[in-house]
Amino acid sequence: MNKIFGAVAAALLVLTISTASFAQKSGSSKYKCMIQMTNYMGEGAYIVVSLIDSKGAYDKTLYVMGSDKKWYPDLKEWHKAFAKKKQDISAITGASVAGGDRSVHVIEVENAKINAGYKLRFESAVEDNKYQLKDVEVPLTTETLSGKNEGTGYIRYVRFMPN
Amino acid sequence: MTISIWRYSHLALAISSFILLTLASLTGIILAFEPITQKVQPFRSSDFEQVTLAKALPVLKKKYADISELIVDQNGFVLIKATDEEGEALEAYVDPANGNILGKPARKSDFFEWVTSFHRSLFLHETGRFIIGLDAFLLSLITISGLILVIQRQRSIKRFFAKIARDSWAQYYHVVLGRLSLIPILIIALSGTYLSLLRFKLVEEKKIAKEVNFDAIRSTPQEELQNIEIFKHTPLSEVESVEFPFSEDVEDYYTLKLVDREITVNQVTGDVLTEVPLSKATLVGKLSLNLHTGRTNAIWAVVLMIAAGNILFFIYSGFVITFKRRKNLGKNRYSADDARFVILVGSENGTTFKFAKIVHEQLLAKGEKSFITELNRYKQFPKAEQLLLMTSTYGLGEAPSNADRFLSLLKKYPQQQKLNFSVLGFGSHAYPDFCRFAYEVNNELTLQDWASALLEVHTVNDKSIDEFNLWMEAWSSQANISLEQKDSINLTAAVNLEKFRVLAITDARKDETFLLRIESLSSAKFTSGDLLAIYPAGDHRERLYSVGKIGKEIQLSVKLHENGLGSGYLKKLKEGEEIQARLVSNSHFHFPESSPSVILIANGTGIAPFLGMIAENRRGTSVTLYCGFRQRSSFKVYEDFLDRQHAEGRVQRIELALSREENKQYVSNLVERDASFIAGSLANKGVIMLCGSLSMQKDMITLLNNICTTQNGKDLSYYQSHGQLLMDCY
Repeated sequence: MNKIFGAVAAALLVLTISTASFAQKSGSSKYKCMIQMTNYMGEGAYIVVSLIDSKGAYDKTLYVMGSDKKWYPDLKEWHKAFAKKKQDISAITGASVAGGDRSVHVIEVENAKINAGYKLRFESAVEDNKYQLKDVEVPLTTETLSGKNEGTGYIRYVRFMPN
Repeated sequence: MTISIWRYSHLALAISSFILLTLASLTGIILAFEPITQKVQPFRSSDFEQVTLAKALPVLKKKYADISELIVDQNGFVLIKATDEEGEALEAYVDPANGNILGKPARKSDFFEWVTSFHRSLFLHETGRFIIGLDAFLLSLITISGLILVIQRQRSIKRFFAKIARDSWAQYYHVVLGRLSLIPILIIALSGTYLSLLRFKLVEEKKIAKEVNFDAIRSTPQEELQNIEIFKHTPLSEVESVEFPFSEDVEDYYTLKLVDREITVNQVTGDVLTEVPLSKATLVGKLSLNLHTGRTNAIWAVVLMIAAGNILFFIYSGFVITFKRRKNLGKNRYSADDARFVILVGSENGTTFKFAKIVHEQLLAKGEKSFITELNRYKQFPKAEQLLLMTSTYGLGEAPSNADRFLSLLKKYPQQQKLNFSVLGFGSHAYPDFCRFAYEVNNELTLQDWASALLEVHTVNDKSIDEFNLWMEAWSSQANISLEQKDSINLTAAVNLEKFRVLAITDARKDETFLLRIESLSSAKFTSGDLLAIYPAGDHRERLYSVGKIGKEIQLSVKLHENGLGSGYLKKLKEGEEIQARLVSNSHFHFPESSPSVILIANGTGIAPFLGMIAENRRGTSVTLYCGFRQRSSFKVYEDFLDRQHAEGRVQRIELALSREENKQYVSNLVERDASFIAGSLANKGVIMLCGSLSMQKDMITLLNNICTTQNGKDLSYYQSHGQLLMDCY
């Protein structure tokens, strides 16, 4: 009786672990992402958050701040990369962010890509101002997804928090 | 002169910016609908005014655990950003009192986005923004110059909203609407300019640089959200946004963006960490944006929309006025040195030019050397024989802008030869100083020894073609130039003649005057002082007679001239005969019913309208009649009638001057004798009416002017322009 119970318990345990690890491997997690801007002067910045693969190519767009398509070409590399392969970004588009402001969004990242050589890139452009290809670019690791990452252009820093 | 400077700048600015202003106004009208459509949405909590942060934050925090931001927009709608149960991003309008969702924000309409972008930069990015900004600045200059023009037109700021005379619809509404929408338009222009200055950093707008001292952040004592002092004192109406702490870490704080400052608050203890007031530039910028867009107030948005519509109207009407003015400046075929006829025009809007050109063109058509120019271009005209001066009056009896130097030029350039002049004033009785400048011109000319008046000064009220024709008729007969009558008739659009029947006609007396009584068969309305136009030869030739209204009958007093076209025709009429004629309203010579006292001065047949006026004087206005005749027998015809009127109190006093019998007096002798009575009457707003021969009128004007200046210290022209001297002489 005990044996049977033990076997069932073990099986259940294995099952639980395997489903958990399966979810861990193939599922995705949501993170709160806060972008704090510097006090630059000018129009609101258009910022796109992208996932970059190990070869340095655009893998996926995670979030777009700025809704007017006419400014998208200003985000040069991103626009170029997605010029041919269309993507539906309507669900992940928010408002552009002005100097000194902060912007909080939820991004969704596939768990399999964390700690797997991917990078997070924050690319920014401001009307009649310099384009920042890598305003923030950090490796997509468990560490970066719980800390603070300094920006180099219009972004002062980016913070993440599991949602 | 100053008028011209402002007018030219007003015009130059308008020309340089009208295309852009048209675009900006059109898009502005469309954009005004945005705040209006927003206000009507039901996203405003009824408790909005009462709720403070201390009340709203705990409610919202409880209901939406990971709320990251709260935004209060210009409509008082409270928008929150959070995530829902499924972890999906949530943006919704909520009731801050209970956290209930009132609605989801709609995306800003693509159409309004597109129009806004065009309105702001014409799709030309920085260049476009600069152009639009400059245009806003120009608009403020146009508005200011327009304001000055209105003040000058009205003669004082106090009279800013006083009545405006109607010259042409474009000009009238340009001024009327200009006065009303000046302030909103100026606000649009200045706020637009300011927003551009901010955009181009010509006004330094400091971003808020808050330095939170993390070493000083305390984590005790803990304070409940609803008890934090700063939250208790901050109503939602003062809030623009609240950024919630990113995490529960004590180093993450609340950021309150209030209408006038930005505050950071420790999320654990409620300590105020930093407090930075917004810079003046930012505050003015916000105010400018509110005023420019109407986003805070739907009523203001409507005002802005109307004002933008008015800008379009101003552009249109402004150009109509300008083209009209330019069209009126024709070219001269003969030079000023050769001209026999010189027509000098004082015109503010070009209407007077139109009338002057009728005469000018007719003279040219007759082969006469006629020269037309502005009064300000008065100089020596060595071959001139006839000077025709036509002028309107600007503001309160001032000269129009192209005539304001005339009076000084007149003294500077005396003509070397004798010449005749005739002044025709254009104006409107809507102004108190009707044709005053024309009277001044006339009086000044009378003082020049080289100039003699061919006619009394005539006036044209509200562009009356009839009154203009009256003057043309009088002038051409005196100047011995038969003007191309056909044209002058053409001006009086389709003449409708009416039927009249002769009731009685007296025999011509010794001095060859006779009385004629007729009645209108079409019961035409008229009053004493109006004119009866007859066409003795059945052609275009018209003769006018001043009428007296006795009962319902028309009474004429006619002097028989040798070979006189009109008088000869009338003399031959028989009782019961029917004639074709028409009544011309001559409103400037009507009995002034509201006047406290009236002095009537007539010689000869000039008494005719006065007989009617006296008979109609039922209100008991104090009336004194001075009349002059050659002999007593001439007066006899009227004596019984006047005695009866006197007995009934319709005329208080009758003074008779006989020039060929008894005292051998002229009517002017009687007036001179009663100088203080006359002066007193004028000073008490009494009216003097003059009817009779031109020579009597001439003497009388000199005499009256003397009386006025010596006894009242005012020129006759003063009373003239106040409608206290009414004349109808021939």
